[in-house]
Amino acid sequence: MTTTTAAAPARRGKAMDSLTQRYLVLIGLIVIASVGFGIANDNFYSLANIGILLRSIAVLFLVSMGMTFIMLTGGIDLSVGSNVAFAGGVGVIALTATDSALVGFAAAVLAGMAIGAINGVFIGRLRLSAFMVTLATFALARGLALVIYDADSINVFNGAFLWLGGQSWGNMPVVIPFVALVFVALSVLLYRSPFGRDVYAAGSNFNTAFVLGRMPQRTLVWVYVLSGALAGLSAIITVGRVSSGQPWTGLYLEFDAITAVILGGTSLFGGRGRLLGTILGVLLYGIIINGLVLTGTNPYLQNLIKGLILLGVVLLDTLVQRRKAQ
Amino acid sequence: MTRRLEMAGIGKTFFATRALDNVDFTCTAGEVHALVGLNGAGKSTLMKILGGVYQKDEGEIRMDGQAVEIAAPADAARHGIAMIHQELSLINELNVAANIFLGSEIRHAGTPFLNKGEMARQVRAQLDRFGLKLDPNKPVRELNSGEKQIVEIIRALMSDAWLIVMDEPTSALSEEDKEMLFEFIRRMKAEGIAIIYISHHMPEIFGIAEQVTVMRDGVIVLSERIPDTTEDKVIKSMTGAELDQFVKPHKQITGKVVLSVDELSSPGNYEGVTLDVHEGEIVVLTGLRGCGAPELAKAIFGLDAGYNGQVRYLDRVLKPGRGPAVAVREGMGLVTENRDKNGILPPLSVRDNIALPFLEKSVKGGLIDGARVDGIVAKAIRDTSTKTSSPEQEIRFLSGGNKQKICFSRWLDEDLKLLILLEPTRGIDVHAKADIYRIIEDLAERGVAILILSYEIDEVLMLGDRVLTLFEGRKVQEYAYPHFDKDRMLADMAGAGHTT
Repeated sequence: MTTTTAAAPARRGKAMDSLTQRYLVLIGLIVIASVGFGIANDNFYSLANIGILLRSIAVLFLVSMGMTFIMLTGGIDLSVGSNVAFAGGVGVIALTATDSALVGFAAAVLAGMAIGAINGVFIGRLRLSAFMVTLATFALARGLALVIYDADSINVFNGAFLWLGGQSWGNMPVVIPFVALVFVALSVLLYRSPFGRDVYAAGSNFNTAFVLGRMPQRTLVWVYVLSGALAGLSAIITVGRVSSGQPWTGLYLEFDAITAVILGGTSLFGGRGRLLGTILGVLLYGIIINGLVLTGTNPYLQNLIKGLILLGVVLLDTLVQRRKAQ
Repeated sequence: MTRRLEMAGIGKTFFATRALDNVDFTCTAGEVHALVGLNGAGKSTLMKILGGVYQKDEGEIRMDGQAVEIAAPADAARHGIAMIHQELSLINELNVAANIFLGSEIRHAGTPFLNKGEMARQVRAQLDRFGLKLDPNKPVRELNSGEKQIVEIIRALMSDAWLIVMDEPTSALSEEDKEMLFEFIRRMKAEGIAIIYISHHMPEIFGIAEQVTVMRDGVIVLSERIPDTTEDKVIKSMTGAELDQFVKPHKQITGKVVLSVDELSSPGNYEGVTLDVHEGEIVVLTGLRGCGAPELAKAIFGLDAGYNGQVRYLDRVLKPGRGPAVAVREGMGLVTENRDKNGILPPLSVRDNIALPFLEKSVKGGLIDGARVDGIVAKAIRDTSTKTSSPEQEIRFLSGGNKQKICFSRWLDEDLKLLILLEPTRGIDVHAKADIYRIIEDLAERGVAILILSYEIDEVLMLGDRVLTLFEGRKVQEYAYPHFDKDRMLADMAGAGHTT
């Protein structure tokens, strides 16, 4: 197998591609932001705060990883935030009805996958616009959540159900190793399985993927189902954090996820990006938001800053792409 | 006085690559100047400098002896230079006249309302001047690619262009439309328009041009008046060496039937077509554009469900509209006619582009065996002599010929039984062409049945073991190698033959 050994070093030699450069920049920015906020507020570096920070962005990690798969196919999922509320509602109601944490978990994840499947079938099979379909399910899932919660929150006392989102080992929330586990599993799926290659192929050129027999229609359905499943997991964590299920949870979550994914270098047009970038994007975004809270920045300004971050990143990416095309 | 454009001592460097070096190029009103060269020779760079898209590093552009600066496309337009692009820049929903006057509409005096009658009249006057039959009120979406090109040229002429640059204008045209375009070019010459004509096709160049200039590796290697040169000389200077001509190996077709198509019909596309392809045999479908052959080939591959008749493959009847996934699993491959639309995956690596169709074969325990994929990819790159800096290179940075080779190389799997090729050498240079012919013959040698659609008669004659001519969706004649008759085939395609 001399051919294999010949091909491998070439790949390592090319390792410094544009995405790698971007990750180095992100790491640099993460360091700068933490140092800056560390100087501004002594509490920033306390283990307790790091625990709080990581726990507060655990949900964003999960949802953004699902969003990465979707944006790699050139799509978008505006429904994730509403889906977290809906899946949480289904999970909590199933839990109260049966008093079995396992049934509660399964119900939440399946409910999330159901909304994802609706997105997937309309987008993948019927080829409707991802933006329009998920805008519809964004409203639909929120509406369902309000209906099943009867617009009121439900308190949860089942310890097993709350464990994942609420428990900490010392200053380390249980949810952090869980997120790491999901990251590893999704990385294997994306980089080492044929499905992962199909995700990239569907986003690079749907028509080519179709002609090559890769059934991109089916790939798209599964990608949205995956995003729904991650919304379901996020719902369980959200309920665990606050010990209750709330119909208005997950508001603006899709905005945060899209911003983090874009920040992580995933292309809006599909086919380009990696999960690692999303992890770094979520970290940077989370540190900035957490830092703003700790430094006592006017909360009204926070949305303004979020909007500026998204606009700035999209502008920068587009300018860089245009420069390259020259 | 005759207008004249001179580009003198033009140089351009991209990063470390010397794209143009001391290039002199002149163009005179009333003449067609053919610019030829392989992909990457520098033709497009030179034209982009002329069009204001790129800036020259050295040299001078002179218009009628006066030095001019072309810093942006608007400058080029102001100096009467117009580029006609392969990707047409017309708005489909507007009609011919509205497209031509886009941005400089004529209004009823003193009102904001468009004077459509006057615009149509002016366009008609221009069309008449060049003897073109086209309705100014027809929506552009109803025009074919030849007519669209004419609309673009008329638009340029009406904004006072005197120099028209055409890049491979005939690559998507039917024979009939080509004739129309050539007649138009002759009339433009008579009206004192200068034309720079970029093409690979020697017969076209020798039929229409006064002067030919050959570029190779960023320099001019030959520039001669057409009567003083020969096709051979031009081709040799393009490649820089004797082109090792592709010679079809002699062979005997003895294998069993792989594909058998019986009375296949699809209203408006093809009618009652019957054909067989054997193991190791190359069957070529040919005709004029619109003869229905691409639709037929796509139906066989399973992309189109709307047909009557039967497709038998390896002694089984295939259901219509089974989709390409079934076809690929059963050992069929397809190289489409439009690589950018549905042939390549632009942001992905060469490796991913090659490995995709047979990925499942490299899976162990649910995971992709990277080493195995690397092996397959390295072999595919070698076997097709594709030029790429590494398998990790993004495919969109490759030249057209190399992209096309990758579209082939993904089908080199040993389980491939039938390969369908639509216009396999469209828009690629002579070197890559010879390589592609060799790949096709190698596959046939291995026993793969091959069905090709080609509109280029020389390619048809060179590749086919059997040739089927089609006219308006019907099979006209079948010819078996070596009993090819070029003149009769051309007559068949034009509808002068007898339909069987």
